[in-house]
Amino acid sequence: MRFMMLVYPKGYEGNAPETVPDPQHVIEMGKYNQELTDAGVLRAMDGLDSPGKGARVTFDTGKAVVRDGPFAEAKEVLGGFWVIEVDSREEAIGWAKRAPMNADEFIEVRKVHDYADWPDEVKKEIENFQGLREKAEAKR
Amino acid sequence: MRFMVLVKATKESEAGVMPSEKLLTEMGNFNEKLVQAGVMLAGEGLQPSSKGARVRFSGDKRTVVDGPFAETKELIAGFWILQCKSKEECIEWVKRCPNPMEGESEIEIRQVFEAEDFGAEFTPEARAQEERMRAQIEGRK
Repeated sequence: MRFMMLVYPKGYEGNAPETVPDPQHVIEMGKYNQELTDAGVLRAMDGLDSPGKGARVTFDTGKAVVRDGPFAEAKEVLGGFWVIEVDSREEAIGWAKRAPMNADEFIEVRKVHDYADWPDEVKKEIENFQGLREKAEAKR
Repeated sequence: MRFMVLVKATKESEAGVMPSEKLLTEMGNFNEKLVQAGVMLAGEGLQPSSKGARVRFSGDKRTVVDGPFAETKELIAGFWILQCKSKEECIEWVKRCPNPMEGESEIEIRQVFEAEDFGAEFTPEARAQEERMRAQIEGRK
């Protein structure tokens, strides 16, 4: 089963748009990423640029409304993620515990919807998605 | 440049309410357009936070808190990774997305860090390590 580990770094929400992560921390992350790779569990990972450079699109009125960052109301802002494939939720949490994070930061561990998780009527639609995913992979 | 497009959770998604057939069909059509345009690199849906956990860090201490988590509007229910020429192009794609939830909803667009964003601090050794790992991930798919 696949789990997404969502990284919530401290202070990211108030960072200036041009902020990049501390180089020393990037090196430690590289080591951790190598452990995930060597264990054969890593499926995807990426880091996100400062939220101040992002945008939010809301659909409250049925029409898409765009707001540019930064967002004063944001308290916990995503900084990056890993997708890992492991045998259990406990194993996923075990990996999260080993990540090189700083005080008052956290990692949220969430299960990715797999085909088997969906009700039968939804599976039919998902089959279309799976075809699409293969096409997306082929284009890379 | 790559963008992560984050679909925020709602009370309904957090309660495990599955999308309607109509929404699934519309989403499928939207995904098909993304694929045909060559912009879609990845996309996943997440199960409600009640099935998840958070690991908090404080020095060497690790504290595990089981879900659900209360601040529904900041939680993430799913995502895409899109390859676009600009933030504006990405925003245009998101505006064409069917409302991902039955009622009010929000999608956040964030640029993904590329190696060149880190400058000289990201040493040739670290870059080589990163490239090696990405090649290994690709090989496993």
